[in-house]
Amino acid sequence: MSVLTNIKRKMFSEQATPYVLLLPAVIMILIVVLFPLIFSLYTSFTGYKLTRPDTLFKIVGFRNYVRIFSDWDFWVAFFRTVGFLAVVINLEFLLGLGIALLINKVTWGQRTMRTIMMFPMMFSPILVGFQFKFIFNDNVGILNNALQALGITDAAIPWLVDGWLAMGAIAFAEIWMSTSIFAILLLAGLFAMPKDPLEAAQVDGCNAWQTFRHITLPFLMPFAYIAMTIRSLDVARAYDVVDTMTGGGPAGRTELLWTLIARTGYDSANMGMANAMAYVSIILSIAFTYYFFSKLVAARRYMGGAQ
Amino acid sequence: MSTQTKSIISWVVTFIVMLIITTPGLWVILSGFRPLQEILAKPAIWIPQRLTLDNFRAIFGIGETQIAIPVLAYFRNSIIIATTSTAIAIIVGISGGYAFARYRFKFKDTLFLGLMLSRTVPGIALSLPVFIVWARLGWIDTQFGLILVYVALNVPFTIWLIDGFFRQIPKELAEAAEVDGCTRWQAFWKIEFPLAKSGIASAGIFAFLTSWNEFALASNLTRSTNSKTLPVGLTDFIAQFTTDWAGMCAMAFIIITPALILTFIVQKHLIAGLTFGGVKG
Amino acid sequence: MTEVSLQQVVKRYGQLEVVHAIDLEIRHSEFVVLVGPSGCGKSTTLRMIAGLEEISDGKIVIGDRVVNKLPPRDRNISMVFQNYALYPHMTVRDNLGFGLKIAKHSDSEINKRVEEAAEILGLGMLMDRLPAELSGGQRQRVAMGRAIVRNPDVFLFDEPLSNLDAKLRVQMRTEIKKLHKRVNNTIIYVTHDQVEAMTLADRIVIMRDGHIEQVGTPLEVFDHPVNTFVASFIGSPPMNQLDGKVIAGEGGENQIALADNITIPVPNRAKAHVQVGQYVIVGIRPDDLTPKNHGMKDSGETVSFDLTVSISEPLGTETILFSQIGTKEVQGKMLNPRPIEGDERLNFNLSLDRVHVFDASTGQNVLGPHHG
Repeated sequence: MSVLTNIKRKMFSEQATPYVLLLPAVIMILIVVLFPLIFSLYTSFTGYKLTRPDTLFKIVGFRNYVRIFSDWDFWVAFFRTVGFLAVVINLEFLLGLGIALLINKVTWGQRTMRTIMMFPMMFSPILVGFQFKFIFNDNVGILNNALQALGITDAAIPWLVDGWLAMGAIAFAEIWMSTSIFAILLLAGLFAMPKDPLEAAQVDGCNAWQTFRHITLPFLMPFAYIAMTIRSLDVARAYDVVDTMTGGGPAGRTELLWTLIARTGYDSANMGMANAMAYVSIILSIAFTYYFFSKLVAARRYMGGAQ
Repeated sequence: MSTQTKSIISWVVTFIVMLIITTPGLWVILSGFRPLQEILAKPAIWIPQRLTLDNFRAIFGIGETQIAIPVLAYFRNSIIIATTSTAIAIIVGISGGYAFARYRFKFKDTLFLGLMLSRTVPGIALSLPVFIVWARLGWIDTQFGLILVYVALNVPFTIWLIDGFFRQIPKELAEAAEVDGCTRWQAFWKIEFPLAKSGIASAGIFAFLTSWNEFALASNLTRSTNSKTLPVGLTDFIAQFTTDWAGMCAMAFIIITPALILTFIVQKHLIAGLTFGGVKG
Repeated sequence: MTEVSLQQVVKRYGQLEVVHAIDLEIRHSEFVVLVGPSGCGKSTTLRMIAGLEEISDGKIVIGDRVVNKLPPRDRNISMVFQNYALYPHMTVRDNLGFGLKIAKHSDSEINKRVEEAAEILGLGMLMDRLPAELSGGQRQRVAMGRAIVRNPDVFLFDEPLSNLDAKLRVQMRTEIKKLHKRVNNTIIYVTHDQVEAMTLADRIVIMRDGHIEQVGTPLEVFDHPVNTFVASFIGSPPMNQLDGKVIAGEGGENQIALADNITIPVPNRAKAHVQVGQYVIVGIRPDDLTPKNHGMKDSGETVSFDLTVSISEPLGTETILFSQIGTKEVQGKMLNPRPIEGDERLNFNLSLDRVHVFDASTGQNVLGPHHG
């Protein structure tokens, strides 16, 4: 009894409150993320195959890692993923910035356009994948139909069959899905932008480009970094898109790290190996998020001075 | 260039951008209401000749043409899983967000960083070990198993957003309430909670959309009508060699509609949520 | 009867001690002002009395209860916050009645008391507005109304006027004073503005670095500052502080030598407390340093010397004169203003019986902490 009241008192004491409040969140993360990840770290050192449960205890040391690091296909998928992300996120930023500036200029229907921009954000990535699979389909797709109807091409262009075209189509889908986040956040930044520094810059003799480059853009950067941080939490959504559009094909030419993991783990049932790759992908994701988040923190700091 | 030409150009560009954003989705939705023959027609039929609900009848199993895909069950699963996991994530998020916004404690930054990093783990990478563990616990192909995963998936982001909103509310308000005779608990419910409502709403929408739309984990943790969600069900349409475009388009319409309705109702909160939580957080 | 008593109260944040064992007795219906520069611990002290900060050590007694462990709601206090802390989602009426509602008073009772408070503060027209729709002064009034509605034992004010513009601040100051006359509750009031402290307080508590430097009525702290800190903090323009040394003068009368070969006699009341050779700081209020025939107090023992006035600031009824003794800037005052054209040499009178003498090494008034 006294132990119970003691525990109760401790729980409600001021110092303990935040820990009690955070307990549910921490437990959730422990069960669903941390424990499984520790477990998968272990399996990445075993020869675990789903089809043969006893292999879970077959420790193979670093063999999985040695194998994936000496595997040409893995490196191709890895660098394709990094390159894909770099290109796609930069394009999303530039396009988002362009759209935000455009809508900021347009005097009529801003709210409607902002609403329209939210449209892709509601789409499930799997739906985006399907949608563009439908549109880029060489036979029934609206794109080829349109090109043929306009007489630009006679033959059906194999959008999702040719390696480079397929990669482009996937990038297009990804950009379509995520540019809105940049546009909306940058637009919010433009709305929040104080007028004084702009006027000060004009008085100081800046032309339009200089004002944009030295005043507007630095002010917008924290907003861009929020978008990038949010975006980098979700980079692996590209898996859904690729999985539906091409499934990593043709012949692995659109294979990204994530589709390779799924294939290795589920299709080949080679869990130990897949988990080793998964760890590489986790580190990649953390690196992206960390990079943008630290930029965000730095950008926030100098923004504080302007207000 | 005169101001007028400039503004005409920006209008045209804006129009094209809006067209690119809306056309693909609208085309898919429109196709959901067209007969399959029209979709497959060569040369293409641009103006729909006939709009029909046959595709929907088919996937819901009404009428002559039936498809053996239990969309109704998927829909039910999606609703149950998305709403339950959102509700729990919100409660956990309020609790955790409040702790971060209002208290100073040891390991605060470490805990926050840890929670956020847990969100960066790619779904497919997480699915492998969760699949193995869930299989041992008998949670594969259960609604519970998926709900649990989605709560954990959403908690970091809801905490981040809600923390930002609570920080907007001056600490003095709760203090004033305490001086006015409230317990800490009353001060929270009567003052801080009502003021953070819009932030909590936006966190809720994001959580709902994430759960409603998630695929990588769901596709590996569900097996049957027990727990399969709509996004997983969409892939049912892809048979070995043929794709039922019309059926898929109808299904796409079913998936997107609740998300659309929900988002339009609270879009103001969504934008506030995105900007607030981040810039000031 | 509600006395508030602080006994050896300490506040620590981890290793850092910000309030050092302070003692303070506040009498029933007294208006006490805690004043000091920012970071002196005055707000922390107030928040400990309110129960918003834990007390690390010592004891706080309100009435006859030790309140150390009581939450704010059980202390029967009310508080006006610096930023007003009005509940943004409630109308003025609901803001005023919130505390009563929480205490589960009947609707008619709540209504009656809210109307009363609104009447006192002139909030009648604003009752159904939200805080966002009010001006700064109106918000301030609502915050005060919320405090008086509950008729608590003690009112706590935490820099309530610092967010108002200068004109409104003076006006609200008067209203707070009127309010105290009317309700006659104990008030503890925190500010960094010495004018506010002087005009409002029955007694002033001057704090620095978590210590209480002096407690006294406004006139006591003005006329007898216990050290150079209090001397410079209270009074505007601030007291001139000049370095000096006690020397033996003619006829056994000790003198204080200042810079620029100016010497003044040791003031009568300080005579017994200084020795020849002692380094001192001489405190002179600008009011007591006036050009001949232009001062308000030409009576009493005076000493005169010439100073060069470099800048003058006419304020209408009086003019502030800036000059120098040694490297130190000194300010004097002139009534009956007349134009001063730069660098004019004037003969100044210094009212000797109003000069303060502090020990240079300790900064303490040589008369000691007890005023005579």
